[in-house]
Amino acid sequence: MAFVLQTENLSCVYGEGTPFRTVALNEINIGIEKGELLAVIGQTGSGKSSLIQHFNGILRPSSGRVLLNGQDIWADKKNIRQVRFQVGLCFQYPEYQLFEETVYRDISFGPRNMGLKEDEIDVRVREAARYVGLTQAHLDASPFDLSGGEKRRAAIAGVIAMRPQVLILDEPTAGLDPAGRDSILGFIQAYRAETGATVIIVSHSMEDVASIATRILVVHQGSIAMTGTVDEVFSRADELVAMGLNVPQVTRVFTALNRRGFPVPRNVYTVTQARDILLKILRSEGEA
Amino acid sequence: MNENAMIEFRNVTFSYHSDESTEEKTILHALDFSVQPGEFVAILGRNGSGKSTIAKLANGILEPDEGRITVCGLDTSSEENHREIRRNCGLVFQNPDNQIVATIVEEDVAFGPENLGVPPVEIRSRVDAALKAVGMYDYRKKEPHKLSGGQKQRVAIAGILAMDPKCIILDEATAMLDPHGRREVMETVRRLNRERGITILYITHFMDEAAAADRVIVMDDGKIVIDDCPRAVFSQVERMKSLGLDVPQVTEMIDSLSRCGINTGGSVLDVDECIDRLANLLEEA
Repeated sequence: MAFVLQTENLSCVYGEGTPFRTVALNEINIGIEKGELLAVIGQTGSGKSSLIQHFNGILRPSSGRVLLNGQDIWADKKNIRQVRFQVGLCFQYPEYQLFEETVYRDISFGPRNMGLKEDEIDVRVREAARYVGLTQAHLDASPFDLSGGEKRRAAIAGVIAMRPQVLILDEPTAGLDPAGRDSILGFIQAYRAETGATVIIVSHSMEDVASIATRILVVHQGSIAMTGTVDEVFSRADELVAMGLNVPQVTRVFTALNRRGFPVPRNVYTVTQARDILLKILRSEGEA
Repeated sequence: MNENAMIEFRNVTFSYHSDESTEEKTILHALDFSVQPGEFVAILGRNGSGKSTIAKLANGILEPDEGRITVCGLDTSSEENHREIRRNCGLVFQNPDNQIVATIVEEDVAFGPENLGVPPVEIRSRVDAALKAVGMYDYRKKEPHKLSGGQKQRVAIAGILAMDPKCIILDEATAMLDPHGRREVMETVRRLNRERGITILYITHFMDEAAAADRVIVMDDGKIVIDDCPRAVFSQVERMKSLGLDVPQVTEMIDSLSRCGINTGGSVLDVDECIDRLANLLEEA
């Protein structure tokens, strides 16, 4: 299987040769397939941010390799700039990084750095704005006149405008109200469906992860503790909790009911799933 | 006027005035509510609904265009009351990195009482007591920038406690924290409310946090649209969604069962209650 992104024995050590030496990542081997929507979860300090910062070459491995389409991204140091265009990373609270006079100019910053022509830049900016639901009025406005949710969307558009093969979003919904959160999750899914791009999101919100991810990667103490579908990972709720992670409320309920001996599965994580399972049991029992 | 209220808003209207135009944006419309001593009140509302403006008005950072606000019986429109208001009613902001001023944890906590002119010996005992109350005493000699977000917010709360307040307002104080940090802050605040009777006004986007309050005020477009106990608020699943808000996942699940004709025995607020309710249903079935 050809992976779009892959790590080979990736290790990351901070403060090598000092008393503060810390192993942030320990021999990580993972492959990410094209078109996946991979959710990376883990406690603060687990190494998940270090991991994603290796994906686009912000951090250089202490040992091991990161491969983009099979090529070591550090094979030729001069190419690392190209890697950063192809693997777009949107940091946590990206709205603090808006700086231009207008939203349009801010979104165009990436494509302009890529050396694209003005008319191509224009196409990219409008396309990205459409994905995140920003209108012409937004594009003409100063970033500082937008609401918190709109700023967040403008910042993400700035990364999308580079048309990266892989879009990485670090905590894209943190600090937003429920409507802002739903709008971000909605456009991430639409963007992926339309472009076929690979999307990686880092999130603390297990409800968000459960609703959109195709696969989950659990990082714990610098290693990959689990990987699998949402189903597979959330069916191990007890282990997740032991790692200091949250699981969706519904999963906690079903795990507890299962433990008490009720005939319900553990791998339940959305309201709709839960309702359907319970209805089936409660109604069939009623008829019997 | 209710003279005994901890925080009282009477007919408060507030607009932001832009420097460049005469255009005014009205944020709060004739707002009327009060918070009683010892209450734990959560405020919910989508972005732009006016929640944070309430926090700034209650602290005298902003002044109302119309109406009257009192905190511990002191009118916020009178500048000479501000010192006393801020001593009695501390404010915790969203970003943990924006509210720590010193380079050592205990010095940061001492900042408030120092400014109040508290004698040094008493400052020492107040700082120690405040750090113990938020579970950060062991970190008193640490540098704040080495703490986690949840720990920084607890230091910020300790800084308020050292001023011996009657009330704490938290303006989305958990928004930037991870689940662990959120839990730390929420547990600290609940304990201070329960054990010391400190009045809490808790502005949040997290429905599960609001569900743990005594009372929930829901804001929309600068007005209070619901003001009730959490159970009564969150049982209105459709209404909350139409206000751009949410309800806890377990509340929504039980509600969706009720809609399908199952007699669930009413709304639930948290995981434990949901487990018990479903266990009963499944046993009866």
